[in-house]
Amino acid sequence: MATRAAISRIAPALLHVRAAPSSVARRAALARGYASQSEHTMTVREALNSALEEEMLRDERVFVIGEEVARYNGAYKVTKGLLDKFGEKRVVDTPITEMGFAGLSIGAAFSGLRPVCEFMTFNFSMQAIDQIVNSAGKTLYMSGGTLTCPIVFRGPNGAAAGVAAQHSQDYSAWYGSIPGLKVVSPWSAEDCKGLLKAAIRDPNPVVFLENEMMYGVSFPVSPEVLSDNFLLPIGKAKVEREGSDVTIVAHSKMVTHSLEAADELAKEGIKAEVINLRSIRPLDIETIKKSVKKTNRLVTVEGGFPAFGVGSEICAQIVESEAFDYLDAPVERVTGADVPTPYATNLEALAFPDSPLIAKVARRALYRSN
Amino acid sequence: MIRAVRTSVPTTRRAFASRRLLSSSVPRFSADQHGHLPTTQSPITPHLEFFNSVAGEGKTIPTYRVIDGAGNPLEGARVPELDEALARKMYEEMTKLPILDNILYNVQRQGKIAFYMTCYGEEATIIGSAAALAPDDEVLGQYREMGVLLWRGFSYDSVMNQCFGTHEDIATKGKQMPVHFGSRELHFHTISSPLATQIPQAAGVGYALKRDPLRRGKNCAVVYFGEGAASEGDFHAGMLLASTIPSPTLFICRNNGFAISTPASEQYHGDGIASRGPGYGVHTIRVDGNDILAVYNAVREARRRCIEEGRAVLVEAMTYRVGHHSTSDDSFAYRPRQEVENRKRLDNPLARFRMFLEARGWWSAEEEDAFKARVKGEVMQALKRAEELPKPPVEEMFNDVYAGEEPWNIKEQKEELKRLLKKYGSAYEPWRTELRKHKGEGKEFV
Repeated sequence: MATRAAISRIAPALLHVRAAPSSVARRAALARGYASQSEHTMTVREALNSALEEEMLRDERVFVIGEEVARYNGAYKVTKGLLDKFGEKRVVDTPITEMGFAGLSIGAAFSGLRPVCEFMTFNFSMQAIDQIVNSAGKTLYMSGGTLTCPIVFRGPNGAAAGVAAQHSQDYSAWYGSIPGLKVVSPWSAEDCKGLLKAAIRDPNPVVFLENEMMYGVSFPVSPEVLSDNFLLPIGKAKVEREGSDVTIVAHSKMVTHSLEAADELAKEGIKAEVINLRSIRPLDIETIKKSVKKTNRLVTVEGGFPAFGVGSEICAQIVESEAFDYLDAPVERVTGADVPTPYATNLEALAFPDSPLIAKVARRALYRSN
Repeated sequence: MIRAVRTSVPTTRRAFASRRLLSSSVPRFSADQHGHLPTTQSPITPHLEFFNSVAGEGKTIPTYRVIDGAGNPLEGARVPELDEALARKMYEEMTKLPILDNILYNVQRQGKIAFYMTCYGEEATIIGSAAALAPDDEVLGQYREMGVLLWRGFSYDSVMNQCFGTHEDIATKGKQMPVHFGSRELHFHTISSPLATQIPQAAGVGYALKRDPLRRGKNCAVVYFGEGAASEGDFHAGMLLASTIPSPTLFICRNNGFAISTPASEQYHGDGIASRGPGYGVHTIRVDGNDILAVYNAVREARRRCIEEGRAVLVEAMTYRVGHHSTSDDSFAYRPRQEVENRKRLDNPLARFRMFLEARGWWSAEEEDAFKARVKGEVMQALKRAEELPKPPVEEMFNDVYAGEEPWNIKEQKEELKRLLKKYGSAYEPWRTELRKHKGEGKEFV
């Protein structure tokens, strides 16, 4: 089983390097998969930016802090225009010390403010991980409920492109294992808008894992999403595409690939149900169980490493539950390769799942391929 | 890739340098044009000189002292204007500390509590600074600052309830190790075990105070840490941030000579912690931490500057940890017993201040004996009470993991425990015995 999975992780990616669908085609596929009556579109970056702006307008206590967030408008321009609108008091550039500005933000949160602390990428949050885990995550509990820490840690997470192992890592499983933290991994513009606003309003520390590759991607959005009060509940997944034959659970950018795979499978008459996890902690296992009871097959997809990952956790929770009895095939995890992410383009492509691979594993769950 | 953005400056400089090399004639610039570098006011010098002292070549930063070992004011020192009541209170609070320490240390040795840390030898630093602060200045301690809480009115019962983790422990509700006190009411943040994390957090508390119109110009954030903790990156980050994002944050270093077994001489090669203050553009003073009047004066002035200027100030208090690091440590394994005895005899912060008081007729041997006996009695009473009190309700295990609505994973665990308690809670003797130790005996589940 393990060997089979490891090999399948690599083989289709080789094919994919030659036959990658253009990003335009990908977006078109997305728009189809993501039905909406609205003609409004919004990029993920715009969604995040408007969520920040709306929450800063709504609540004086909210402020944004991090490296390059003010004058430079953020390394990825997510905080664009905020300095001009809210001034230096609420959009704070910091020296380069993750433990420093994360610590400062946590202290400010203990004192009643609502910091949104940006990491240039979550890879650098490692330099502040004690502050996030031991202070933000545990102080409410250890102080007997006296010190709350309403804070959002946000920034790009997971593999980007051509930036090698130290810039290409998914922290969902890391932060997802800590009681006291909430962890969100949004995919679309809708997700980003509704979940970032909910994260800022949440009384708990929320780790908000964005994806660099998604910032520029446009999504159609309903008028509801554009409203100032559009919130999505943390801890609830979304069924992005309904199907009856196999359940594909993914989060962040892997939702794109899973929807592409579902399109591919549809051509063969396979109806895949695609679940966008949205939240890592609390994990919406109910939605997955419900889907598994319908499809009897489960494939998990993530950009993180296989061991002790999000897919492993979902798999364990499913086999421990009554949903196990409904499974007609082994659960299979589609994940990043179990190596530090290589730099060379061809090797990097080999290291992460893509839609042909997801389709292949889904077929295998249906005993339609090996 | 991202970090590469930050290296753009050196790249530009290299490009500039090579352009100059290509020039056919050597351009002449006036001294004026090159008088200043673009990002600093540093004067230009033709002398090749290195430096390694912030106090002037070969000099060590001086230590501020007010009274000598016999309690007499130093010539030229300004004795703070203390009335008898305040001076006595300061001495009394100092005196309480070793009494509490003795009792709780032994209680730990008897196995009744898991852990304890004494503050023997550092009484003047802790009480002197506590007395100089406003009662609503926000304090973030390291772990040896119980005296600040006592100064602010934390009761012996509160101390004991926290150390024993009883159901009356409102500080941590039985979820934190002994001596990790906290009190919202007394503006004292709950102690966090990983060293130095409180330092950048204090910069954030200071930042929040500065943003609060009701507290701006009125209060500061105060952070305590040892000289060992000052080696953590968090110390440097905290100092840097309180200085670059200016906030009224008062840094108090208790330089007690030891980080567990590592002597200060192995903790740093430079001139203590004080030498680091100017590196961050922070007003700094080194003070004799065993001289309560010097600590009081220094912290009062530090606090004034901190609040008036809205900027960080650093105080390095030089003291000596007479006790072991914690109950997990036997310090005689790494330092001679005689050295400790000598320090206790030669430079006892309590004895110094007592002599100062006695010289003014504000304290006497009889009062000393009576006070100690009274405190000991009260502490023992609180101890006995805490020993008897039940532990927090079983349900407390799940409370405050999250604020607001409980996520399903918490609810599910509660349900699981409820199911087990229903099945075994009264039927199985070991569980029955265990439940009896908890307030409510687990009945909130059944």
